[in-house]
Amino acid sequence: MPVPSAEELTERKRIQINAETVGNAASTDFPGHWPGENHEWDLEYFKENFKVQFHTSSPLDLSFSLIGIDTSVANAFRRILLAEIPTLAIEDVYIYQNTSIIQDEVLAHRLGLIPLRGNHAALDWMKWYKKPTTDTEGSGSPSDYNTVTLMLHVRCEWQDGGLDRAAAGETDPDKLYTGHTVFASDMMWSPIGQQEALFGPDGGVEAQNPGIVIAKMRPGQEIKLMMHAFKGIGQDHAKFSPVATASYRLLPTIDISKPIVGPDAKKFARCFPKGVIALETVTEKDAGQNSELEGKQGELKAVVADPMRDTVSRECLRHPEFKDKVKLGRVRDHFIFRIESTGQYDSDHLFLESVKLLKVKCARIKRGLAQMTQ
Amino acid sequence: MIIPIRCFSCGKVTGDLWDRYLSYIDRQDMNDEDAINALDLNRYCCRRMILTHVDLIEKLLKYNASEREQQRAMRQK
Repeated sequence: MPVPSAEELTERKRIQINAETVGNAASTDFPGHWPGENHEWDLEYFKENFKVQFHTSSPLDLSFSLIGIDTSVANAFRRILLAEIPTLAIEDVYIYQNTSIIQDEVLAHRLGLIPLRGNHAALDWMKWYKKPTTDTEGSGSPSDYNTVTLMLHVRCEWQDGGLDRAAAGETDPDKLYTGHTVFASDMMWSPIGQQEALFGPDGGVEAQNPGIVIAKMRPGQEIKLMMHAFKGIGQDHAKFSPVATASYRLLPTIDISKPIVGPDAKKFARCFPKGVIALETVTEKDAGQNSELEGKQGELKAVVADPMRDTVSRECLRHPEFKDKVKLGRVRDHFIFRIESTGQYDSDHLFLESVKLLKVKCARIKRGLAQMTQ
Repeated sequence: MIIPIRCFSCGKVTGDLWDRYLSYIDRQDMNDEDAINALDLNRYCCRRMILTHVDLIEKLLKYNASEREQQRAMRQK
């Protein structure tokens, strides 16, 4: 059985980026495509070849590479991150009083979008809330295991002597009124049942960003409402999505086939974002090794420093002088992930959660298949 | 009208950034670009949320009973 060489394999994984077209985009590492070669999926082979590299890691913004994985799996992780990891968000708002100029429905929508934070174990313990149906009596009743209740009561008033200051021409609301801006930190968590014991030690349920402006008011206006927060997933509403963005891109490659020297090298470096192309001086040794560099000792030559920073703008392919000297591409199985969390969970935790969810979904498929063949 | 809670396109929280943006521009004399970079807005979808926002609610808040109270207090002076 023929085994392709390492160069052949890297060439197969390379997506060609040409001036107007993209080539070799589909993967070919499946059985039956290359005559005589064995491309059956093998766990040992995968374990040997799969790599994870971290680039930047802060709690809410994570960038890492998955190398040696199929697009379908990488994309499954991305989609699960966006739409299937459950979080808590306000779903029902009971408005007792709203005399502010923000309309009830707009206010409710704004409240829904506020990301809520709480103890992770307690959030895992929470079950899905089911809407009441007309068929079953008493269905859909909120309880401690599916509903978190929050209260909001803010009234705007004149400060002591505020009216006099306003008459004297003062316009800064901080010096005239109290409660003129409703912040997300004004939302008060009111625990029910076991919630006090589960959420309480971690400070209860609160807005991840306490500085979010919910509404603005003037003296005499009041907002009084109760909110019910449920667990949900991004498929139902984007407010449940735990990430601001979860995306991947393929690792760009730049192959300089003929040396680019002198003023051309500087122009070439300007075709890319900063740091992608570095300029090096041609040494005696280089000149000896490459006939095209002969007599160009001391001049600058372009070398690829960090292809990961490239945005693949293809700018260099627009210039005729670089046309046959450079080849752009991307590596089909090198995924540079970037996960930016909205704050309920840390980014690394979110990725592990997506892996866990994919496993659960696979187990479900397996069960279904087993039932079909019974 | 009032600063949106989240970026329309990507979902990043922008609801707490408008006041900070104003303070960067007013009190710290930054220009738009520096201020928006200081807010950690990297993508152009989130940047437009702040850059193109018009805080109309400040104007609408004028149509209010307390404003009349204020007018009356000014007349009495």
